[in-house]
Amino acid sequence: MFGKLVKINLSNGQIHREQIPPAWIEGFIGASGLASRLLWDVLDINGSPLDPSCPLLFATGPLTGTAGPTTGRFTICGRSPQTGWWGESNIGGFVGPELRFTGIDFLWIEGVSDRPVYIWIYNDQIEIRSAEHLWGKADTYQTQEIIRREVGIPQAKVACIGVAGENLVPFAGILSDHGRLAARTGMGALMGSKKLKAVAVRGTQRLVMERDEEYRKLRLAANKRLLEQNMTAVLRSTGTAGGAEYLQFLGDMPQKYWTAATFEGAEKISGATMAETILKGKTACQGCVISCGREVENLHGNYPTNGAVKGPEYETICAFGSQLMVDNLAAITALGNLCDRLGMDTISAGNVIALAYLLYDQGKLTEKDSGGLSLRWGDPAPCFTLLRQMAVQEGLGKLLARGSKALAAAFGEEELAVQVNGLDVAMHDPRAFSGQALAYVTSPRGACHNQSDYFNVGLGGTIDEIGIEFTDRFNPVGKGEQVARHQHWRTVCNSLTTCFFAVVSPSEILELLNAAMGWDWDIPTLLKTGERAWNMKRLYNLKLGWKPENEKLPKLLLQPLVNGGQEGNVPDLSTMLEEYYQFSGWERMSGYPLPWKLEDLGLKDLVVN
Amino acid sequence: MYRFPSDEWIKAMMQELNQSQSYKDAAKNWEGDFYFIIEPGGTLSETVVLYMDLWHGECRDAFMVGTSDGLNPAYELRGPVNVWKKVMTKQLDPMQAMMTGQLKLTGNMAMVMKNVRAAKELVESCTRIPTEFPV
Repeated sequence: MFGKLVKINLSNGQIHREQIPPAWIEGFIGASGLASRLLWDVLDINGSPLDPSCPLLFATGPLTGTAGPTTGRFTICGRSPQTGWWGESNIGGFVGPELRFTGIDFLWIEGVSDRPVYIWIYNDQIEIRSAEHLWGKADTYQTQEIIRREVGIPQAKVACIGVAGENLVPFAGILSDHGRLAARTGMGALMGSKKLKAVAVRGTQRLVMERDEEYRKLRLAANKRLLEQNMTAVLRSTGTAGGAEYLQFLGDMPQKYWTAATFEGAEKISGATMAETILKGKTACQGCVISCGREVENLHGNYPTNGAVKGPEYETICAFGSQLMVDNLAAITALGNLCDRLGMDTISAGNVIALAYLLYDQGKLTEKDSGGLSLRWGDPAPCFTLLRQMAVQEGLGKLLARGSKALAAAFGEEELAVQVNGLDVAMHDPRAFSGQALAYVTSPRGACHNQSDYFNVGLGGTIDEIGIEFTDRFNPVGKGEQVARHQHWRTVCNSLTTCFFAVVSPSEILELLNAAMGWDWDIPTLLKTGERAWNMKRLYNLKLGWKPENEKLPKLLLQPLVNGGQEGNVPDLSTMLEEYYQFSGWERMSGYPLPWKLEDLGLKDLVVN
Repeated sequence: MYRFPSDEWIKAMMQELNQSQSYKDAAKNWEGDFYFIIEPGGTLSETVVLYMDLWHGECRDAFMVGTSDGLNPAYELRGPVNVWKKVMTKQLDPMQAMMTGQLKLTGNMAMVMKNVRAAKELVESCTRIPTEFPV
């Protein structure tokens, strides 16, 4: 039965096993949806996210590890050290499936160890081992290798933090496998605060679905259909950075820290160029037929790779490319890899560095502040120093490691920080797709494209079956309802967990879930579960003091860029929010779901008055 | 009016493309010939294959072929005739048709992703041809 939870208290070493109530699983499915319900009960609004009592939760979904379409993922949840709000970060690779193969669906880690440790799980055996030899010494790839050697099982999978997580950088992530990173919201800092360097797992149990043979047939058929999709072919050939030229043309790709309308260098750093030049191989998460991961090799020039390394994803070519006006793919590759080794989110790290470049360009940040570094647009060289400084909190990096808001505030320009609710905006400019602006401001974890990648709908990725249609990308009318529907659907995906890159219909997903769990749900039930989990995350934030006033765009994103693909569009948030609140059944003044909505979703008992 | 799909239609399309400055600009780096494969529907009872040789913003040749054997073009775009009609009459966005799998594309995707604008301009040209559809 899905829902097996193990709690490990690192303060006293106690390990406790329990079964999550089936009613909660039916209410929230799993992964981040169910995690929001689990973590609600222990949320201390007076504490800090880094308090020992704040749990870190590795949460799988009922499809994780089942070899269904893109089901190799799981989610790491907790209260975000970066934003102070709800935190979740999903991650591919093999750790989630491996955790399920040990018989664990949820791994709850609380307390704080008195020395650096790692957790080793081998089927039903759980050990807490010393990591003192790794702490401050081993990067994320070295850590994986050393631990695999120590446990003596080459197939063991390891999720670990780098130096950034050890030093509590608020946007530190957790890395596994071939550069798969739970990057956003600072779950790596939460892990570091517990003195937990890594979680290593190896399981050999076979996952048995409730209707096992039916599931087997469905997953084979679904994977076959997925393999035949155009989007799969594009991602397989060119990786997630494959859309760079087109996204630049539409104004979706941010440039020069959100201030430039065009970037001539997009073609030089795109996934298509990568495929034609430095691509050596492809990597995939467990059971995935897409293989969007890149392996690249640079033999010559200033940034040789010394063998094959991870190729940058779309977000990284923006973070260290277009945002800095850098058109050098080799440099971007090297910076992305350094970020991975240090264990930092490239989106936030790239954004905060680009903000430093902007402040330097405006003459506000000088070489006196940067320790002699010249932060000139187009020059990637200073980034290597800045990233290392950020991870160990030295020099200008110490300030940058506090995030873009802190950096901007330090120079009296707080409004310049392009973030929403503490999270740096993902590399999809909402001026190119108005609905994405609404998705950002209402996302429970800040400006994130993994709660709703609504820009994709604007590109043509409609889901007609559940009423998510193709609309004018700038027009705000109708977006409130469309974005809310999309968020509910994506919350289902995040509860299963499946990847947003998979073109798999809700009907196919429903069939898979029903077979896996022995349910007979219909589409409305599935979507209502997504809506319930979406509201649950909102309640979590409302308890922490979230207000409707939080739902706004930063100043730079309210300035039109007229000469590029955005065509001068500035999202009309006011119109979209009115419609969004009405469709969602939320009260405009307080931001709370209305009583009838809470009743309808079965959440009434969680809210007093 | 040109009947779709037919030899006269694809030749009209060739003429239209070669007159389009915006297509020339968008497709200046494009290299690769195409099969457009139109699957049955309405009064169209058999699959029809149209061929176009597209090269650096120019259409060098275009004609209807009997079967999809023989020419082995670099790209193939395939779908039911009703989907083609929706795209060509602007009821369906071409990118939407591709992303949702209603039209199936095969070929070098790196080249395609560098030239999405060219594909859109190509469809724009289609919409300017007075066309009679079998559905």
